[in-house]
Amino acid sequence: MTDVVATNQTILVVGGGISGMTAALEAAECGKDVILLEKNPSLGGRVSQLYKYFPKLCFPTCGMEINLRRIKARNNLRVMTLAEVTKVSGDKGNYSVDVKISPRYVNENCTACGACSDAVSAEFDNEHNYNLDKRKGAYLPFTMAFPQRYVIDPAMIGTDDAAKAKDACPVGAIDLDMAEENIQLNVGSVVWATGWKPYDAAKIQPYGYDRFDNVITSVELERMMDPQGPTGGKLIRPSDGKEAKDVAFIQCAGSRDRNHLRHCSRICCMASLKQSTYTREKFGDEGKSTIYYIDIRAIDRFEDFYQKVKSDSTVNFIKSKVASVVEDKDTGNPILKGVDTEGYKRYANPHDLVVLAVGMEPSVNFNDAPVDIVSNEFGFIEANPENGGLFGAGCASDALDVNRAVQSATASALRAIQVVNQVAEAED
Amino acid sequence: MSELNNRVVEKYRNNFLKEVEANVEEGDWVKMCMQCGVCAGSCPLGDAWEHTPQKLFMMIRAGKRDEVLSSDAMWMCTSCYNCIVRCPRELPITHIMHGLAHYAARLGLSPKNQPTQKFAQLFWDNLTKTGRVNELKLGLNLYFMNGFSEGVKKSLEMRSIGQGMFFAKRLNPMEILGGHGVKDQAGFHAMLDKAREIEDAKLDKFGK
Amino acid sequence: MAVQKDIGAYICSGCGLGDRLDCDQLEKVAKSDGRAKLTRQHEFLCSKAGVEMIQADIDAGDVSHIVLGACSRRAKTDAFNFENVVMTRTNLREGVIWVRPDTDEARESTQEMADDYIRMGCAEVKYQDLPAPSQEQGLNRNMLVVGGGITGMTSAIEAAKAGYNVGLVEKAGHLGGTAAALYKRVPERAPYSLPVDNGVDSLATQIQGNPRITVYLNSTVTKTSGAPGRFSVDISTESGDTTTENFGAIVQSSGFEPYDMSQLTEFSPESPDVVDQLGLEALAKEANGGAIKRPSDAKAVESVLFVQCAGQRSEKEGHLSYCSGHCCATSIKQAMYFKQANPDTDTVVMYTDLRTPGAGGEDFYRSAQKQGVIFTKGEVSEVTPGDTGPLVKFNDLILDENVEQNFDLVVLATGMLPNSGVNIDAPAPAEGEEVTETPVSILNLDYRQGKDIPQLVHGFTDSHFICFPYETRRTGIYTAGPVRRPMDIKQAMDDATGAAMKAIQAIENSSKGLAAHPRSGDLSFPSFRKEGCTQCKRCTVECPFGAINEDERGFPQYNEGRCRRCGTCMGACPVRVISFANYSVDSVGQQIKAVDMPDEFEEKPRLLALACENDAYPAMDMAAMNKVEYSAYVRAIPVRCLGSVNTIWITDALNSGYDGIMLLGCQKGENYQCHFVKGSEIAHIRMSKIDDTLSQLQLEKERVGTHEVAITDVERIPQIINEMAETVQKIGMSPFKF
Repeated sequence: MTDVVATNQTILVVGGGISGMTAALEAAECGKDVILLEKNPSLGGRVSQLYKYFPKLCFPTCGMEINLRRIKARNNLRVMTLAEVTKVSGDKGNYSVDVKISPRYVNENCTACGACSDAVSAEFDNEHNYNLDKRKGAYLPFTMAFPQRYVIDPAMIGTDDAAKAKDACPVGAIDLDMAEENIQLNVGSVVWATGWKPYDAAKIQPYGYDRFDNVITSVELERMMDPQGPTGGKLIRPSDGKEAKDVAFIQCAGSRDRNHLRHCSRICCMASLKQSTYTREKFGDEGKSTIYYIDIRAIDRFEDFYQKVKSDSTVNFIKSKVASVVEDKDTGNPILKGVDTEGYKRYANPHDLVVLAVGMEPSVNFNDAPVDIVSNEFGFIEANPENGGLFGAGCASDALDVNRAVQSATASALRAIQVVNQVAEAED
Repeated sequence: MSELNNRVVEKYRNNFLKEVEANVEEGDWVKMCMQCGVCAGSCPLGDAWEHTPQKLFMMIRAGKRDEVLSSDAMWMCTSCYNCIVRCPRELPITHIMHGLAHYAARLGLSPKNQPTQKFAQLFWDNLTKTGRVNELKLGLNLYFMNGFSEGVKKSLEMRSIGQGMFFAKRLNPMEILGGHGVKDQAGFHAMLDKAREIEDAKLDKFGK
Repeated sequence: MAVQKDIGAYICSGCGLGDRLDCDQLEKVAKSDGRAKLTRQHEFLCSKAGVEMIQADIDAGDVSHIVLGACSRRAKTDAFNFENVVMTRTNLREGVIWVRPDTDEARESTQEMADDYIRMGCAEVKYQDLPAPSQEQGLNRNMLVVGGGITGMTSAIEAAKAGYNVGLVEKAGHLGGTAAALYKRVPERAPYSLPVDNGVDSLATQIQGNPRITVYLNSTVTKTSGAPGRFSVDISTESGDTTTENFGAIVQSSGFEPYDMSQLTEFSPESPDVVDQLGLEALAKEANGGAIKRPSDAKAVESVLFVQCAGQRSEKEGHLSYCSGHCCATSIKQAMYFKQANPDTDTVVMYTDLRTPGAGGEDFYRSAQKQGVIFTKGEVSEVTPGDTGPLVKFNDLILDENVEQNFDLVVLATGMLPNSGVNIDAPAPAEGEEVTETPVSILNLDYRQGKDIPQLVHGFTDSHFICFPYETRRTGIYTAGPVRRPMDIKQAMDDATGAAMKAIQAIENSSKGLAAHPRSGDLSFPSFRKEGCTQCKRCTVECPFGAINEDERGFPQYNEGRCRRCGTCMGACPVRVISFANYSVDSVGQQIKAVDMPDEFEEKPRLLALACENDAYPAMDMAAMNKVEYSAYVRAIPVRCLGSVNTIWITDALNSGYDGIMLLGCQKGENYQCHFVKGSEIAHIRMSKIDDTLSQLQLEKERVGTHEVAITDVERIPQIINEMAETVQKIGMSPFKF
């Protein structure tokens, strides 16, 4: 049984992406007692699935390494994975939180040696790679996964493969009888850093994401670029594996649109600008990127990056919301149709690959979450005094880029500290 | 230019957007366009347009009254509704196009000999006679729209289709004698008169 | 040596280590070469039993320094979590068996690798002590906020809510800053439909009634000295009265200055009916909900044009290249002022890209459209004073035509300039060059490295790190609001709260002697042997964080509270007198020397890799996890930062017969990735001078390579190592093997 001691001076952070890790760390590095919950088997969240960050084009794993090291060094910060909040009751300074912990089937003995994975043959969709490839049924979610501990896919339980995994483990780390647990935590305040999810591109029917192989999403492109990703870092077309030298980016794919997400997701313009550099990275002057946009929202000093990309002769900008995508049956080329609104130029442009700059929606829609918290019509948590000791952080509170999400998370850590400090003061 | 047109111009003093908002069906949506162009790109007849919907909206905002109202662009709309479905800002573009066309026609500004407009008039006249469309007459009127000899030519061209429809009981030659109508003819015409009265009253507010 | 060092070496034979390595031999090496007092083997060292075994030895007082020959220092950290003992992790799993093929031929060289790592581990702990807090740490728990605008007020209130006392310094006679000049502000919560109260009064009232906040109006900071936990700050009034107060940490929220619109001559800035956004706020305040009147003739404005990006997003001389972020929403808000007072006002916002990001932005934009604000994608080329009002020439980008139109009023959406004080990195003016304007310092830091916070770009004091927006280069001092980065009020208020969080954290940690990010929690600090110091000042110059001052006699003064423990000073010291308790010239140097050097004729080269522990070393671990092989001749040592690499290590390594040396650090230059700002850059500079040493020793230049690598270079780092092995094969063994 998981034994977790928490008090009304404990801060609970829900969500182990960069915002949650930040909120938890900032509070813990202030000496506070913190519990960090993550529903997946590993911390890391969305940023662990990114190849590079804009505008520096640096690697997200670099910051993650620092954050993990900070977490490892903190005894007052406890991490619980495969854990989900099922109910919150109580008030500011004294909440009772029900948490469901799903079985990992691997205990703390695991040394991440990989013997179990070698022993099994069953494969499942690899969610870390947006299901673009398969992973084993006994797996480490990704190389930097933390806790550095393997997971047995629940679908494998009861099969021969599960038994093989168990037999292969030299340290008795596999426990196939592990069951779901439900625990209750008493905490003073809760930071919700539940993050975002990409908008379901299949819902944008005219773009044919569900019909054409060579229409992919921006998050999938990030995985493709990763040397450890599904294509081993190759920028290729899913239909035929040919190099995708001529890439089109469709902005506002699901954002600023009453048919989909009414809000602007903020990150997608910068993401496509960034991804246009991937074409250059792979193919130099032979690569070509075309960005179809309504407004390029490269605010503050991100503008510098926009100007830099704009000055690249291989990158084209067309002010147009693409009307539809059709497929050239002979070549497999997606053909983009629409009108360049600057001066009314009609186009039907073939490209090798189309990347939909998909919008950002809150991972948990707080309008129907197991917690009473004020959220706006988009499902993001509002900074509302009525929320008491519950605070939103990062993309649970707005569509934010990484830098702003971390800023928001740092702020939320202080708000949580205010609550527990007031509790401590009252009890003194 | 019609007297009515002069009065409208006077009232709105070049503020064409306000004029459209007040007088064109769904015209108050025009300001909500964000110039993404998805309507233009989605239109199956896009190539045939002088101005795309989104551009028309920009022209309205820019006060290009004559250019917009005398354009045949909005007459090209076939009501496929592709634009409405895709518009991220919820603009009822199809309706606005028809609204603009209708408004231009009432002001007498719409282009002469615009075939869609001619057909619309034929349809209206045909319909309002008895309350039901007389398809035979409508078809023939359409063929003879541009003169007698062309009408004969067109009729001969369409003969086999007419026969097909006859045998399929989709066309009754007896309709040439007047055809069927709604039961309450008097009521129907009273209704139309009332509608006309309301519409005229709307236009009467200019410069009386 | 006063303290007895009892080394215990613990060898794990789990995870295949026992199959691939002769663990008895490793124990032997630890005993004989490593001088370990006791050695033990365990088949599963990270298990409860294994950990208890080690703990028992510690508890019994048998060992004070332990060497764990098992997996990487990055793995199983929860298990190997011992207190009050010096520990090093010798990486036999990721560092040896996982990067070597499991073949008979490879067995010998793999074992040699492991043997050496055990020798190195023992040598390292021998020169390490348990770090203890320095005695210099201050305990002041009060926070100083410089700048009483909306950012500063928010910082003060949020810190006070957490129980901290705050001093709030404002140079004006009232609180509120720029926000106080606003008629209303953009809403930061739903519904995003109309402008809301500017919020200044409510914050000011909260401050007035708050016993934890002391406000200093009409005051500036005239001197700041000390370190986190013990800042001493002179606060002076206009009249010259100065009080000295102590603070634990500082938030600088000095805000921005509006761009000087008079520079935009093409827009007739001298015309009274051409105003900037703040000018419009003044008109709106005056109208107070009634019709806004234009300045020239007090006529109620019937038509107004907002020119977005005026003097911004432009490469023209004197313009700002960046986007100020808030101006689109601000113009939308201001257009609403007109529409609220009189819906018939013609309000046109002319933009090239309308930037209203986030959940609320688009709603606010829609709301303005609903109210009848017209948005035109166009570029204004010229504004001239017309007969009836400003005449505007613009290119309508949608209709693709040039237009001239009269408006009653033109509002220029100009940008923001950070109020960040003195640019300490600006090159000194050349002799005879006229200095037109000397910026006034905000903090007047009594730091050798300059009076203010280093600027990142365009004068803003932002952090360079995407993951760490508060990674300041002056420990314990955090900037917030538009001085850090162009931003709107909503973001500034969040930013203010975040900065207050970091300031509070700095207070808490400095009181315990703990380091700030990124080595947060580190207790070690630099100290120096005074008798060896030549007062060359190189450490004070190279410290990326401006931590080191000089005392009155010219000796370095480390100000541990300001130190980030990167060791750049240690790398800089030509006489090698600087060290940390657990990281020193010796703790690394002795590892280098501990390697068993085969003689020249054995044809077994030895390669040294000094790898940054933040990026290069984890990348090597991940290469191992992916079973990427590399040469068995390499011996890798993690370093805190390449900046801490003292050239003596290179010289010693060459002298003791290493055949090749690789320095693996982070990206340098404009988009640097070095977590200690300049470490990698400095290392490259230092290493460029190694050529002299090499030529003195008559060694080939290729034997030393400095590389910029990333944490993702899982394939590339092994390649670099293998290439070095090939190079050595080509140019031959080092003759310096004794």
